[in-house]
Amino acid sequence: MNSPQVPPSLRELLADVFEISPEEVTPELSSATLETWDSFRHLQAVLALEGEYGVQLDPQRVPELTTVALLQAELEKKGVSL
Amino acid sequence: MQADSKRNELRQCIKDALANREARAAVQLARDLLAVSSKASDVLFCATCFAAESETLTRQAGLKRLRTYLVRSVTLEPVLPYLSTEAVFSGFFLDLQAGGYGSYVSELLQPDSELARFQPDLVLIALDLEEVAGRLPALCADGLGAGVEGEIQEAAARMEQLLRNFRSRSSARMLLHGLLIPDLTSSGDVGDANLPHSLTNAVLRLNQRLAEVCRATPDCVFFDVDRLAARHGRARWRDKRMFLASRLPLSAEFFLAYARGLVRSFATLFRAPRKVLCTDLDNTLWGGILGEDGADGIATGSAFPGNCYLEYQRYLKQLSQRGILLAVVSKNNEIDVLEAFQTRAADLALSLDDFVARKIGWGEKADALRELSQELSLGLDSFVFVDDNPAECAAMQSQLPEVAVLQAPAAEPWKLVDLVAEQPYFDAILVTDDDVNRLQEYKAQTQRMELARSTGSREEFLASMEIVCTFQSALQAPLSRAVQLLAKTNQFNLTTRRRSAAEVEQFLSAPGGQAVVVRVRDRFGDAGVVGLALAGNRGDVCYIDSLLLSCRVIGRGIETALLAWVAEQAVRTGARRLVGEFIATKKNAPCATFYADHGFVRCAAPEAASAEAAAADATFYEFDLTAARLSSPEWITLEGTEQHELSPSTALTA
Repeated sequence: MNSPQVPPSLRELLADVFEISPEEVTPELSSATLETWDSFRHLQAVLALEGEYGVQLDPQRVPELTTVALLQAELEKKGVSL
Repeated sequence: MQADSKRNELRQCIKDALANREARAAVQLARDLLAVSSKASDVLFCATCFAAESETLTRQAGLKRLRTYLVRSVTLEPVLPYLSTEAVFSGFFLDLQAGGYGSYVSELLQPDSELARFQPDLVLIALDLEEVAGRLPALCADGLGAGVEGEIQEAAARMEQLLRNFRSRSSARMLLHGLLIPDLTSSGDVGDANLPHSLTNAVLRLNQRLAEVCRATPDCVFFDVDRLAARHGRARWRDKRMFLASRLPLSAEFFLAYARGLVRSFATLFRAPRKVLCTDLDNTLWGGILGEDGADGIATGSAFPGNCYLEYQRYLKQLSQRGILLAVVSKNNEIDVLEAFQTRAADLALSLDDFVARKIGWGEKADALRELSQELSLGLDSFVFVDDNPAECAAMQSQLPEVAVLQAPAAEPWKLVDLVAEQPYFDAILVTDDDVNRLQEYKAQTQRMELARSTGSREEFLASMEIVCTFQSALQAPLSRAVQLLAKTNQFNLTTRRRSAAEVEQFLSAPGGQAVVVRVRDRFGDAGVVGLALAGNRGDVCYIDSLLLSCRVIGRGIETALLAWVAEQAVRTGARRLVGEFIATKKNAPCATFYADHGFVRCAAPEAASAEAAAADATFYEFDLTAARLSSPEWITLEGTEQHELSPSTALTA
């Protein structure tokens, strides 16, 4: 399924982190449903996103960012143009 | 955008290469990808690809597979993809498992711990100051530091106890992380620098103690994380936000540097350093071209840019001081080179005597290295080649892929030293007397060859060499030397089992066990400890597990003397039969007929033969010790340790 809502760079990065294909990265994709999205991968994803977009996420908010849509919103809030 | 399309193209190539089982190509492509972009996602991509193709990588690219267990008190999961990728680039495939955060003590101590059941080949221990010496910050804070020394000693002793305890049950190689030296403490920079018991001084000393503990533990290396932090910038090394929130001990920016440093450290436990550095002359050892600029015109000496080359020469000289052999490989007229070394001696840090050999002429450099390999009896995989000419480098790489090739930066000669220093080729965690004497030994070898040419028969020649063999327990000689021999001997090695120090010790404690080394000297010099045998009795049969001899001394009857020695010990400990084993490898053809040549006869694999022997397709030979005697050649004088000192019971107490 195509998911035009997730920008390509974010989609590809998360696909690498979670070892899935970019097509599987939808806004609804969540740590609750994706087996490979455990707490370590979550940290891995955060670190990769910070490195890729040059931002720092607030560690207190990080545990709450459990879906692709939430991650994307947080990045946009930080001023990242995806 | 262009970089992105290059990335995607390389990614596709890596996938294709792995799908086609072209493991070496895939590894090279992955290197290329990470050279173009070292983004986290690209590293993760490579790690995922490699993980899915472990069989292809180990079989086709010859990667050494290591069951690796991480004992830790910090979060290292995000670093693991970097670690496994860097390991692949260095020739290792890691099957990684990480232990729990708080369980490192029980993991190392308990015989049925997760770690013990994992049966690791390699254990990485990463603990933070809080676990190693949690009281130090409080003890240092008052500036007086009562109790600081005591805590350092106790902390080191606790660690030693843990490592010893684990070592008594496992022969896995171990890597212990050093501690990060704290920054911005309550003493302030001035206090840290000046107060004798400041926290930074205390942790510095603790690190030194931990390194001593590692030295005293067989097969254990100290990984100085703080050195990396200092090199890359202590202020940025640890991201406090991530450390406090997730116990991540280093910033994501340095994952690659950390992984590279860690792999480089543990690699020394599995592989011997390279032994020869071949250097080009023009625009490498000195600036300019001797044939055009003349001896007076080449750049070397104290003025820039000559001092860049002088630095490089000094670096090579230092390498040679710990036993790395230097050779000149240059396209030049030999007479010009001799003149340059003579007339510019004051401006050069090296003289021709510092080189074990020189290949100066107009032939192919690959041929020169082949000749050197023969003359020095060293495999091409022991060679490093430094040359500024890209064509020479490419030719060497394609003709002799085992040789490590470094292209000297002709336009930036100040980078020469870094070029060599950045490579792990000469990394060694110990230096033995034998290493240090290597240059003299090779020069003696040349004299022996001259003697051989001038004497008539082989017997006459060997008798005139005045060879003396001294047999010792592997514990009497430096045990590290025995393990070094096991790790690096390829040609005259009957089973090529890379036994660890702990395993060598086990042979000595087993019934009828033997772990014997042989030192050799002759009228030209002392070759040092050059041979080793491991054997043990089962009932009235003595099995030779390993028997090897440095290729420098093959063909002088020393192998026979060693075998005779083992046989004699076997008889003394009640053995009636001696069984030897040959496992063919790509390199050990020179000893294929060793047992047959000594009157052994082929026999079936003993029932007790290990599964590894069966898997390796071993050939077994036996010798009836009650019917005949194996004797040492007449031209060899045997001396040194009395035989009874080698009996198992004495060796145990040694």
